[in-house]
Amino acid sequence: MKGKYFAGIDIGSTMTKVIIYSEGIRGQVIGPTGPEHRHLANIVMEDALAQARIPFEAVDYVVATGYGRINVPFADKQITEISCHARGVLHFFPNAGTVIDIGGQDAKGIKIANNRVVDFVMNDKCAAGTGRFLEVIAETLGVNIKDMGPLSLKARNKVKISSICTIFAEQEVVSQLSEGIPVEDIIAGLHEAIAGRAFRMASKLKIEGDVVFTGGVAKNTGMVKALESHLGRPVYICREPLITGAMGAALLGKELVEKAMESGKAIKIKERKLTTARVF
Amino acid sequence: MADKEKTKKFINRLKSRNIVRPMVNKMYAEGVTAANEGRPLAWSMVNWWEGDIVMRAMGVTPVYPENYGTVCASTGMAQKYQAICDAEGFPTHLCGYSRNHIGYAAEMKKLGKIPPDAPLGGMAEPTFMLGSGIACDTRFKWFQALRQYYDVPVWTIDTPSYDHTEDIDSDIHEHNIRHKVKELERFIEFLENLLGKKIDMDLVEDYLENQEKVFQLWWEINELRKAKPCPMHSRDFWTLMVPGYYMTYDKDALNLYHQVYEEVKARTDAGIGAVTPEKYRLMFAELPPWHSLDFFEKLAERGWNFVVESQGYHPPEPMSLKTGDSVLERLTRWTYWVNVGHIRKAKEKNYPLFGPVQYYYNWAREYQVDGFITHSLLSCRTATFWLPHAANILKEELLVPSMNMEGDIVDFTVFDPDLVLKNAEAFEESMDYHRGERKRKGLEW
Repeated sequence: MKGKYFAGIDIGSTMTKVIIYSEGIRGQVIGPTGPEHRHLANIVMEDALAQARIPFEAVDYVVATGYGRINVPFADKQITEISCHARGVLHFFPNAGTVIDIGGQDAKGIKIANNRVVDFVMNDKCAAGTGRFLEVIAETLGVNIKDMGPLSLKARNKVKISSICTIFAEQEVVSQLSEGIPVEDIIAGLHEAIAGRAFRMASKLKIEGDVVFTGGVAKNTGMVKALESHLGRPVYICREPLITGAMGAALLGKELVEKAMESGKAIKIKERKLTTARVF
Repeated sequence: MADKEKTKKFINRLKSRNIVRPMVNKMYAEGVTAANEGRPLAWSMVNWWEGDIVMRAMGVTPVYPENYGTVCASTGMAQKYQAICDAEGFPTHLCGYSRNHIGYAAEMKKLGKIPPDAPLGGMAEPTFMLGSGIACDTRFKWFQALRQYYDVPVWTIDTPSYDHTEDIDSDIHEHNIRHKVKELERFIEFLENLLGKKIDMDLVEDYLENQEKVFQLWWEINELRKAKPCPMHSRDFWTLMVPGYYMTYDKDALNLYHQVYEEVKARTDAGIGAVTPEKYRLMFAELPPWHSLDFFEKLAERGWNFVVESQGYHPPEPMSLKTGDSVLERLTRWTYWVNVGHIRKAKEKNYPLFGPVQYYYNWAREYQVDGFITHSLLSCRTATFWLPHAANILKEELLVPSMNMEGDIVDFTVFDPDLVLKNAEAFEESMDYHRGERKRKGLEW
């Protein structure tokens, strides 16, 4: 597929990710989703196209994924984030057997065998156990979210967070702070709580093969450590753990085009324009 | 769900199902009429027929609060009654049906009459309540709790624990039948004392004969659903189960199932499916989201045909009756058989023996399903406990994958249909994969 370009756009609850792929990554942009993702999707796409130095018209196929995938007006096809994450992870880690993805507002586990999704499990009903949980607590603690991982590694006596609700956990943390418990011990306790939830969720799949940890929370070194402790094995992480969904979307788009070409059938491509669509 | 937004239809529903709605309306109307005319009315738990036939033979009109929970859920009234139940101080994790009914009863007590907006005319104040020991303790505790509103007699028909493998290997089976017959005799005695009249056992026998014909037909209809494509969707099953659950004594129920049989048979012979094209054959466990049944249309749009479901709602498989049994023995054998017959079948075929899992293991093969949808319920332990085990066994032994959806039978606020639809595409990928694996490993489908 020399000379052809494929775009994958993953609209998550908090971040939008775009990959432009043509025999390797030509453009890669991560931007905030914001409250109106239809409005921002094209802006993130434009940035990625600028990186790849191609106009939008040069893109042969666009696949949208993620929570906001239905609302991407310029996508040729929508594919579920579970399929896209699996495909993206396999690109980076061909031996992956299990994916644990913790994003802004959901967490999921995906089991892969023979390069395909075999099973999956998801939690998107409760903020506890997601990146949003860490954001709320970081704000309460007055800590930059990027510092949470390194800080937690200094913990000497991590606390036990007993609340399973973000709001109540926040109150619990305030109470612990007032008791003079060191911030690093509290953060380590939070990581332990989230990792425990993720582990229990993924265990339903019977964890096998290499475990790959993706999503924004995978950038947190404290979370990685806590999850590895629960799993009893190392986890693999992409250099940029946020982009596996977009990467998978681009690659699945490429494979669809290849398959269509092989079979001699024309693939349906939209008459698309990179324009803003708004709901508000 | 309460939301009455029109959903595009993709399920080819049976025409004969239209007979059911008037029958259900009649059931509730008869309850109110009986109370107005001073005849005995019972609030009854589903008792798998044994109590119903006895009550009918005693001139009692039973209405069923569990069924009323499904009615209130589908009409959107359940939220109101659940809110009343919450305000009465009952915890929100109780059975969804019980919360609906307790809220309804509290409202009726407060108003001093049937709430004017009660669906299907409501349920009048009962003469007594009949609990059942089958399935879970809630189904007699809930009526005990209701006595704070309506201090009428509460009777419970006990049942032995029935999911024991030992039951089929020893004389425990016959011991349990004797125990259950005794329970029915005591129930009859209770009714005779309460109502001041004697039971007509000939009438019991007449009703039982009708019931046995209903069972046979209802079972045969479900057998026809093994055809590819499956001619009858689970939505029709959940509609058509009502007469088979509550009206087996009634000739109208028998006539209904005759008509359903003819329609399903005609479809089977003509190769007509309930969903076209039938891309995937699904099995559903256990209790459905009564508030959101239209949601299955959206899955049907994807080619998902639900071909078998809800083991607790199915009729008993045919069985050989013992000659010389009394009418009560015969009656209770059916009730017992619906709970233990599958254990015997599983044992014969060397299937994994664990509660309701056996049904699904058996059905997955017989109906050749591609996927298993489990509905884990926030408010029902009985219908949820065994789901993970069933899912694991099906995947490991039959290479049938599962997808879980969390929700509730009555409370639509804890069900997220969008999430299920969002994941449907990924589940199709899993079903495709396992279809290939089954073929590769030489399974029949």
